[in-house]
Amino acid sequence: MPSPCLAEAVAVHGHLRPHETALVSADRTVSYGELGELTQTFRQSLLELNLPAGSTICVPAHKSPETIALLLAAFLEGLVVLAPSPDLGAAALARLAQQARATHVLTAIDALTADAVQANEQESAGFAAADPARTCLLLTTSGSTGTPKIVPIAAAGFDAFAAWATQEFSLTDNEVALSYAPLNFDLALLDIWTFLQLGAQVVLVDQGRATDAPYIESLVTDVTFIQGVPMLYRLLTEAGTTFAPVREVIFTGDSVPDSLLKPVHDAFPNAKFHNIFGCTETNDSFIHEVDPATVTGKMPIGRPIAGTDALIRDGELLVATPFQTDGYLNTALNTEAFETIDGRTFYRTGDLVTRDDDGLYSLQGRADWQVKVRGVRTNLQEVERVISAHPDVIEAVVVPLPDEQAGVRLHAHVSRRLSSALTGLRLRTHAGQHLPRHAIPTSVHITDDPMPRTSTGKPDRNLIKSNRLKEIHP
Amino acid sequence: MNSQDIAAEIRAYVVAEYLAGEDTSDLTGDYALIDSGVIDSLGLIRLISHLTETYQVSFDDIEFGPDNFRSLDTIVALIETHSVTPVQ
Repeated sequence: MPSPCLAEAVAVHGHLRPHETALVSADRTVSYGELGELTQTFRQSLLELNLPAGSTICVPAHKSPETIALLLAAFLEGLVVLAPSPDLGAAALARLAQQARATHVLTAIDALTADAVQANEQESAGFAAADPARTCLLLTTSGSTGTPKIVPIAAAGFDAFAAWATQEFSLTDNEVALSYAPLNFDLALLDIWTFLQLGAQVVLVDQGRATDAPYIESLVTDVTFIQGVPMLYRLLTEAGTTFAPVREVIFTGDSVPDSLLKPVHDAFPNAKFHNIFGCTETNDSFIHEVDPATVTGKMPIGRPIAGTDALIRDGELLVATPFQTDGYLNTALNTEAFETIDGRTFYRTGDLVTRDDDGLYSLQGRADWQVKVRGVRTNLQEVERVISAHPDVIEAVVVPLPDEQAGVRLHAHVSRRLSSALTGLRLRTHAGQHLPRHAIPTSVHITDDPMPRTSTGKPDRNLIKSNRLKEIHP
Repeated sequence: MNSQDIAAEIRAYVVAEYLAGEDTSDLTGDYALIDSGVIDSLGLIRLISHLTETYQVSFDDIEFGPDNFRSLDTIVALIETHSVTPVQ
């Protein structure tokens, strides 16, 4: 990737260790030699597009060896890759590609296809062009909606991150990682890209089967390293199986419920456990080694990792990491999100934290409207904005409801125009065109009644939430 | 069970399980259940388990993918081609 060093390292593995397994995907293994050949084929195809040096291309991040090879090919060609979620609706994808000034949308599902992107000055206004000398991968913040933030991953930042992770977890080319998160998540910087740079093996979990416990369990046979949201561990511990070869278990993306500690302790008898905290903008910033046998109460996010500075201001966590982005392409957002303090640029995480006497940090919640749905950061206001944009909607409120399996799911309370025949199904179709799937509300209540309000005239979110909870659990 | 009965049963299940309390008069056979978030990844697991129990079908690995469950019509078609007992 995320850096030219990475792409070259993977190419070298292809020459020196061609028969070693690089990727396992859907019962297929791809050796480093095969990955190298696939990458060379795609380099040739990219050359035939005659792109100006340092161009940006858009590659929807399907989780496949072909897409990974296409990204490696682009990095070797000095291109910048915008890698959004493959679930993104067509309209949102087109807009994103225009904002990043991508020349083509490329996919490598069976054969390589390249669709030219129509440049659009209006869409790209306010967006900086990615600097190919500093980045070759553009991710979008997870949970983003119609207007995702485009985050250039710093190439030097990735190199520093891979070096840190390799040392922190004593990684070697003997490792086998389970890659559970989508390829467009920053988590892939560790469980795919760092492992490929090392010449280790990566087992790719198919996104379409990410909640299929027996399937995931069958993939873990030889795995030594697992990183994932708590839901992954709930799935893996359901059947009471023991995974002896796993030596490192990383919790990330969401707080770990107490009820999960004993099951993971039993399932991974030879593992070390860490909780890692981070975000796309900064990559990982906090780490905490966990002993599931002795943890009591809420698990802290731990301490800043080496090279990271952390500040708490009005309860909000600000971090500066050696891995962080140079700033969003949507430059107008940077003043608000980044701040230079004593010569170092800090990112305002929007997370409320406390720090105890031992220097351990703990999450207390969000300073804004973000929740995690199935581990994915989702902005309630953005979901409300998309739903409210439907012409038949007068006003919409989206509330998070606790859910045992998903962590949180979304409920929309919508008042419609009196003459309209809007239904929840029509509204979901609208939402599906503008939102990633996890952000589409699970339940929709459409009403002709006015929105319940607080004494100050704002929608009464607490009442809407408690009414809905009473409906589900009377 | 004939194919109309299957369609009616599956529709009733989807409505009860994922759209409880909602106006579903416009739930057509080609409505995009997955793309519009009616059935999410966790919901899909419940649906598959319901189908395998009710219709005694077994799905091999490839067919597990969300494409086969994208609408009521595709689900009914999937059941019809995979039932152990032939559908009349």
